[in-house]
Amino acid sequence: MTQNWNLSRYRNSFRFRLYLIFTGTIALLTATFASFYVMTEMKGYRNTLEREGRLLATILAQNARLPLFAENEQALSLLAAGTARYPSVRFVSISNTDDRILSSVGNRKNIENAIEMSFPVTSPGPVLSPEAVLLGHKPIAEERGIGWVRLHLDTSGAKERLNKLVAASIAIATLFWVVVSLLCYQVLKRATSSFNRLLAGIEEIGFGKLSARVELDGNDELERAATAIYSMAASLELRELENVSLQEELLKAMKLEVQEEKMRVMARLIHTNKMTSLGLLLSSMAHEINNPNASIRFSGHNITKIWRDVVPLLDGVRREEGDFYLAGVPYETARDALAQNAVNIVENSERIARVVQGLRDYGVGDGKKVRPYMEVNTTVSAALSVLACQMKQDVQLKTSLGNDIPAVAGNQQQIEQVLINLILNAMQALPGGRGEVVITTRYDKGAEKVVIDVQDNGTGISSEMIDHLFEPFQSTKLDKGGSGLGLYISQFIVTEHGGTLNVSSQLGKGTLARVALPVKQLLPQLEA
Amino acid sequence: MPILRAIFAVILLLAPFQVLAYDVLVLQSLREKGYDEAVKGVRRECKASMRTIILSDYAEADLTRIIREEHPKLIIAVGDGAVDLAANQRSTPVLYMMALSPKQRPNLSGVGMLLDPVKYLAVFNSMGSKRVGIIYDPSRSGSYLKRAQSAARRIGIDLVAREVRTPKETPAMLDSLRGKVDAVWMLPDITAVSPASTEAYFLFSQGQSVPVVTFAEVYLTMGGAIALGIDRYDIGRQLGEMSQSVLNGTPIEELSPQYPRMSLSKSNDGVLRRLKIKIGSSAP
Repeated sequence: MTQNWNLSRYRNSFRFRLYLIFTGTIALLTATFASFYVMTEMKGYRNTLEREGRLLATILAQNARLPLFAENEQALSLLAAGTARYPSVRFVSISNTDDRILSSVGNRKNIENAIEMSFPVTSPGPVLSPEAVLLGHKPIAEERGIGWVRLHLDTSGAKERLNKLVAASIAIATLFWVVVSLLCYQVLKRATSSFNRLLAGIEEIGFGKLSARVELDGNDELERAATAIYSMAASLELRELENVSLQEELLKAMKLEVQEEKMRVMARLIHTNKMTSLGLLLSSMAHEINNPNASIRFSGHNITKIWRDVVPLLDGVRREEGDFYLAGVPYETARDALAQNAVNIVENSERIARVVQGLRDYGVGDGKKVRPYMEVNTTVSAALSVLACQMKQDVQLKTSLGNDIPAVAGNQQQIEQVLINLILNAMQALPGGRGEVVITTRYDKGAEKVVIDVQDNGTGISSEMIDHLFEPFQSTKLDKGGSGLGLYISQFIVTEHGGTLNVSSQLGKGTLARVALPVKQLLPQLEA
Repeated sequence: MPILRAIFAVILLLAPFQVLAYDVLVLQSLREKGYDEAVKGVRRECKASMRTIILSDYAEADLTRIIREEHPKLIIAVGDGAVDLAANQRSTPVLYMMALSPKQRPNLSGVGMLLDPVKYLAVFNSMGSKRVGIIYDPSRSGSYLKRAQSAARRIGIDLVAREVRTPKETPAMLDSLRGKVDAVWMLPDITAVSPASTEAYFLFSQGQSVPVVTFAEVYLTMGGAIALGIDRYDIGRQLGEMSQSVLNGTPIEELSPQYPRMSLSKSNDGVLRRLKIKIGSSAP
């Protein structure tokens, strides 16, 4: 285990790896140079041997020219023996053109790996026959072969030389490698000591001690790298401090925001609770009103029926006895007035029933019910019926409902809520409670949208306020019971329907609130 | 008009015979610049009409038929081949030149290629050489050597002669002259002086410090001391004079074979200086 750890330590050591690379490269280069040197020397030796052999053969061929021509074997033997005295020559032979050996020295069969050389023995080229000379012929450079000189050169010396060269080269190369490796080690040790100190410093920084510093000698690249790293560490330290400070500020801000959000949520919960209570109240009220109202309507109907049966009898009495008075009113007048009053009782009772039903729908109706074909004009009428009780004498409520307005998909109760909010806002914006509120519906074919405009000629909205109009709890009537959620909720509802709610206003001239609902678009979120 | 046409036709028919009518038939062994030089010399001195036949242009020249049909007054044979062919007939006198070893026949004379031995001996004499080595083939240069020996005896020079039958014997024969001669005479004998053995003369000259007197200037560059060469044009002129004499009516038997009358002497001063030889006033 300890051995493995040591090996791993060395394997991961920059100094050790650098040392391995250096020594490996030097060993490779040394081996290459030594091999090259041995090969060159051997090639040179062989070339020298061949050159010497060629020279000896040339001299022998030159000297043997006349003896060979004269076939003087004694002279040829002397020449061959003279050549064979050279240490590198193992065999010499001189033969004529028929390959008949006239003289030879040495035994050619006992020579291994010898270099064989053959040189022609030629008669002197420029020499002519006497007849040609007398005829004035010019000498021509033509040499005629008259025999061969053959030499076998001994290469055993080359082997010995090769062995010596290899041994010497290995010894010198090894010595060189050892010396250079030691020098490399010393140089690397010196060069990487600063590196190790720098590394230790960096490791300390890496472990989080950003203020750690190591002093290095000199002004070399390492020193500059250390300076750069320390600058970076200082910068990191500064950033860390800044981060801590920012985190603290962020936490504070988050706490504050959470608090505010909590308050907003609580306000909404309170409002929702209030609305729920209001719905329950409305439902209770509707129940309480509907029962006596039904009795009134039933009584009205009974009065009408009874009066219808009584009138012929009373008409007979008047014919027989003359005109008479009912409740101080002549029968003639009371006859029509009573019938009309009975009709009024029924109609007003039905009106009360519709209003109550509207309030009940608003308060406790199914808020999630989506109608695929919602009639906008009907929705406007329903909203107006809810608001009927809020109407004041000084407010002129005008409606201009367009024809051929296509149905839209939507939740009627939610759209009613939007319209009630917008109409109430418009009425509340009228100065002194006097003014005009115009509700217009139309179909924008180009945009394929149904548009509902609620226009008033009230005080208008200031430009500062209009930028925050759709933010929750933004209201100028908070002191008068306004929740500041009307437009916020209205825009949410319209947006959920895929539509848009825009408010434009001119201070002192009035405000226009425009709801645009898409015709074809279905509302999957509402359907769900 | 028919008569004129007939005369014109006869003239045309006779024209070839007029062309073939000549006095001298020149038989040249082969197309050779040296032979041409000599023939030019002949034409310089002999104005007779000539017809030249180059024998090497024919597979076999029928000289007998040519002589029978064309009747030349004289045949000039140039080169050994032409001399051999011309010597086979006896009807027409033959003068030869540029032949190394002409045969001795009646009706045959001319100018040889070998200089008079007296001229060589005069050179040896001028160098003070009393013992002169000479290598020769008896079959080729035997008669020349006899004349040379005869002339040498007259002027007190000892010719140390060695016979060779084949060129291979030359180096050995030269070796046998070691220490026995003061100079070597190199004869234009193709047995004694072959291309392979020529070097032996000059090696001998160098080894024994004796001068080699040779027959051509080219040998001076190989180590020869003095060269007595022939003048081919002058040989032609010499033969042209003989031809003219024959054409003028002199019987050929009265004209004995001649040596070339002019010799061209050249020396290699470097060799002479190294051998410490000074040429006396008797040199040609």
